[in-house]
Amino acid sequence: MKEQVINFQLNDEPVNVYSDPSLSLLKLLRNRFNLLGTKEGCGRGDCGVCTVLLDGRAVNSCLIPAGKVQGRNVCTIEGISSKSTAKAARFHPIQQAFVEKGAVQCGFCTPGMIMSAFALLQENPSPSKEEVREAISGNLCRCSGYKQIEEAVLEAAKVMICQKEHPGFK
Amino acid sequence: MPIDKEKGFDAKNNSSGATVNQGPDVWAKAAGRALYGIDLQLPGMLYGKILRSPHPHARIKAIDTAEADALPGVRAVLTASDIKKKRYGIVVQDELPLAYDRVRYIGDEVAAVAAVDEKSASRALEALNVEYEPLSAVFEPKAALAQGAVQIHDQFPGNIAWQRELERGNPDRAFKEADLVVENSFSIPSVHPTYLEPIACVASSDYPGNLTIHTALQSPDIVRDIIAGALELPFSKVRIVGPVMGGGFGGRVYGNLKLYLLSSLLSQFTGLPVKMQLSREEEFCIGRPMIAAELKIKMALRSDGTFLARESEIVTDNGAYSAQAPWVSKTLSERNDSVYRIPNIRTRACLVYTNKVPTAQYRAYGNQAANFACESLIDQAAEKLGLDPLQIRLNNCTQAGDTTVHGLKIKSCALKDCLKEAAAKIGWSNRNKNCGYGISAGIHASGSLVANKDFRGASARAVLELDGRVTLFSGEQDYGQGTYGAFTNIAAGVLELDPDLFSLNCRDSLITPYSQGALANRQTTIGGRAVQLAAADLKKLIEEAASEMAGEPVRMEKGRLKSNDGSIMELAAVAVYYHNRTSGLTLTGEGSYVPPPVEYDETSYGNISVTYSFAAHAAEVEVDRETGAFTIKRIASVHDSGRIINPLAARGQVYGGVAQGVGFSCYEGYLFDRGRVVSKTLADYRIPTALDVPHIACCFIETTDPEGPLGVKGLGEVVQVPVPGALANAVADAAGVRVTELPITAEKIYRAISKGECAR
Amino acid sequence: MSYTIASNLKQAIKILKESDGKAQVIAGATDLFLENLPSELVDVSAVPEILGITRGKDFLSIGAGVTHAEAAASSVIRSEAEALSEACRIVGSPQVRNMGTLGGNVINAAPAADAAVALVALGAKAVLTDLYGSSREAFVVDLYGGYNRSSVDSSAEILMRFLLKPAQRGEGSAFLRFAPRAALALPLVNAAARIRVEQSLIKEARIVIAPAKPAPTRLLETEKLLLGAKPGLDLWQKVKSTASSEIEVRGSMLRCSEEYRCHLVGVLARRVSQQAVVRAMEAE
Repeated sequence: MKEQVINFQLNDEPVNVYSDPSLSLLKLLRNRFNLLGTKEGCGRGDCGVCTVLLDGRAVNSCLIPAGKVQGRNVCTIEGISSKSTAKAARFHPIQQAFVEKGAVQCGFCTPGMIMSAFALLQENPSPSKEEVREAISGNLCRCSGYKQIEEAVLEAAKVMICQKEHPGFK
Repeated sequence: MPIDKEKGFDAKNNSSGATVNQGPDVWAKAAGRALYGIDLQLPGMLYGKILRSPHPHARIKAIDTAEADALPGVRAVLTASDIKKKRYGIVVQDELPLAYDRVRYIGDEVAAVAAVDEKSASRALEALNVEYEPLSAVFEPKAALAQGAVQIHDQFPGNIAWQRELERGNPDRAFKEADLVVENSFSIPSVHPTYLEPIACVASSDYPGNLTIHTALQSPDIVRDIIAGALELPFSKVRIVGPVMGGGFGGRVYGNLKLYLLSSLLSQFTGLPVKMQLSREEEFCIGRPMIAAELKIKMALRSDGTFLARESEIVTDNGAYSAQAPWVSKTLSERNDSVYRIPNIRTRACLVYTNKVPTAQYRAYGNQAANFACESLIDQAAEKLGLDPLQIRLNNCTQAGDTTVHGLKIKSCALKDCLKEAAAKIGWSNRNKNCGYGISAGIHASGSLVANKDFRGASARAVLELDGRVTLFSGEQDYGQGTYGAFTNIAAGVLELDPDLFSLNCRDSLITPYSQGALANRQTTIGGRAVQLAAADLKKLIEEAASEMAGEPVRMEKGRLKSNDGSIMELAAVAVYYHNRTSGLTLTGEGSYVPPPVEYDETSYGNISVTYSFAAHAAEVEVDRETGAFTIKRIASVHDSGRIINPLAARGQVYGGVAQGVGFSCYEGYLFDRGRVVSKTLADYRIPTALDVPHIACCFIETTDPEGPLGVKGLGEVVQVPVPGALANAVADAAGVRVTELPITAEKIYRAISKGECAR
Repeated sequence: MSYTIASNLKQAIKILKESDGKAQVIAGATDLFLENLPSELVDVSAVPEILGITRGKDFLSIGAGVTHAEAAASSVIRSEAEALSEACRIVGSPQVRNMGTLGGNVINAAPAADAAVALVALGAKAVLTDLYGSSREAFVVDLYGGYNRSSVDSSAEILMRFLLKPAQRGEGSAFLRFAPRAALALPLVNAAARIRVEQSLIKEARIVIAPAKPAPTRLLETEKLLLGAKPGLDLWQKVKSTASSEIEVRGSMLRCSEEYRCHLVGVLARRVSQQAVVRAMEAE
């Protein structure tokens, strides 16, 4: 397809790029914006490794034509940690919980998994175990058996609620 | 986070130590900053692609490369005529980087191209013209073994890649004297490790002929040997640098040698770095799954349930090329004999070439396939004898002090307790009538020594840096199983220093000690011991240098250097002192751990491993008899893996390994249509999702193994071993019929039930 | 202009018209795998005229651009078209449900599309608009042109919305699928039913299963059997055997054998009918 200009919000910044609009959002992010945190596992929506948020909802970036993000808001794993330099403040509570609960093994599914968890907790701040499993059911993980991921998401939910209620809480 | 100095590296009660326990790159992974093979880019890099055979078996009559060569952006087109015809292989030498006369499976590598971008490389593939003359092909081992079958490799007559006959004790007498003989046949399809990151590499050859391959491997040094040999390069000119590994599970012990060789050759031809990457479809169609197996097993028992003998006939399907398939076949045909006391054994195993995807290995090395068959048969026997499946296993299971039928010396073993605990956890004595229950046991070598009898151990270096920090060098590989965290903790424990003071170098063969790598459960057991010794050596060197500097004896205690009068020296000061005195040397501790020599005879009788891990699993399932659909409700997974030094990571290994076992038992399996892989996407090759993995109750029964370095034994592989047997037995208990073909699916259960009802 | 996100219907039609048949309508894009796309695409997923779920006096209108996730979360759909709600909850994965639209599910014409099966069972009609402003209505089942082929020409027509009769008194619907994995899986068989009861007798019944033919398929014999019948063990036994025998299904290496699929058709037809009857009785 002929290249065209695509404007969108990427991790809270306005960006524009001249691209073939049928290129996948995944390739656009990785090859044009050098955002390598979003991984590719299958290229056809079967594994969830490339999950990003489109207007706050978890989507497979490998299935999204770049042209589709015109005027919309895309958030990747690079966009959820704050820009503060202190390590503890830099990581999102979900990232923190993933590390502390042993939810990260080989780490290849981790960015996509965290984005699915992020979308879930935005919509449902205190999910049940079953709701967590449902929310990550489109994200394959081969290392973990999902248990420690489930534990991490539940832990992150607790921390995030606490932070909301007590803004100074770390 | 500082660790408890009193406890040294014992992280058992140390939940706050999560950061270091899990290794240095865990934060990068969570941040999306970890770089994997697919993320790599080097300046000037070209993209390589491979032309693959569309035929399962054909003669190559001609390859016309002119059109591809002339395309813009194309920098190299390689066919077999451009390279040396030197065969290579892991066990048997049956592969060439590119096929030159014949292709032997759909996907066989015929030509390779390098171009400035992926599109140009794809166009070059389309422009290649190959003339084939199709040959008749064989897809099933039985057909390949038949008289007059087409020969796949001239040097392997009868299509036999490897075979073995083995007899221990007197099985004929045992079968004659037995009160009960049970037998059955089982079949297990090929399975793919399905690491989520498809294999990728960038090879870069410079003008003096040094070759650097950037790729994540479980055993980079062994691959380095093979590549140097296949390309006829001096070993010291080949370097492997590892990015972060997106899962391995045995599939990346050797990774994809073809990809490394072809990218290297393309780089040598072009003088530029060349990146190659498998698509997910290529992973399934030409990546290396584990062998498929057919097992016919017969077991002899006394009426009280005592196991007397077992006879097995095993045929494994090698596919077109061999890789590690002979070793996997050997483990598959042998290891399970040591779970229980079975004094008489006869085994015939045969690995057969077919015109299908070449095979390799997967976590648990075929041991889980044997578990499915052997444990199913034990339940059949128990049912015939009216014995409780738990009791028959307790009565026969291997115990500490045993020398098993194959000569394995079992110095520590909590299998009996594992079985009891698994049963207790699943509620064995109080079973729900609407569910089915199954139990199964497994053994796995921990620190197997057979890969290289002469190079059994591992070595490591620990360097005191000028700033007082410590850098560790080891060739062992971590792909998420927690090795690096364990190494840091071990060294920190010896030196009694904060783990945050340690850095680890493991992924660059230029600077790390040669290692066997992440296989055979040897990382923490053997590699960890080397790290421990290196740290101890460094401690001694630090004390010597500090004493020399102070002019009086100085000792390192609780991480601090103290002289007799109690004055304290900084580590950095000692490092700088030594550095200056020697004009540039650093204090470097070296550790080399060499396990006791292995003794086994030509029949492979002997103690082949440093130590052995054990596990028992119990499963609860519910079967919908009308459709055969079943729900795995719970799995209890109980392990004797010696001392557990990182419970968080250990639990992670158990949950993940059981989940893979569930996939192996109930979901996964290659499907072929005349040699073509049909299950070639993650939608059709189904690994379990978060909604498919049952509740897993995990428990460790710690033993102290006198041989096991640090008292630890392997965990990562044995965890998958008992799953298929436990699930098969639970399904049989619930459905009243037995499925003997993996994966156990609703349809197979339904068919078995219907057949049973017809018979009645 | 090759990929345009149309902000309203007029714009979408204008582009389609001007492209001279070259441009095609696209919505969630989840089934396209971005391979061999037509050179001109009109993305209608933001066109307000095809969005939204409205409950009218005697109809329920669901925009073709409504995603599976939106449909699954809709309380109106849950109460008025429960089968559709259940079907939308289980498609693919959360990610696919967030992008994939109901219209796309029908136009993609996969033989085992969950939402389409529910829509056919509910008797949904599709409303389509051509490039000259005229609309037509068609039953969902008539939008199929063959295996994985829609009869709708995406360069000349836009699927606007689905119209359904809301659940009446004494009416219940249900959806079931039998899949080899709990998520990210195509079903071996899926089934949906819409049943109305009056004084414990079945007065209306639509039972649909897939995959059998290119389109979700009504089990007409089974429906006949149900009409006027009183639910009971006997009836359900007959429903199962009639459903199994009244249509032909195919087996495939990747999914299951013909024989097993045939068996599942019977079991699912019975179970989904039973479920719909239970709900119908509750609504009486």
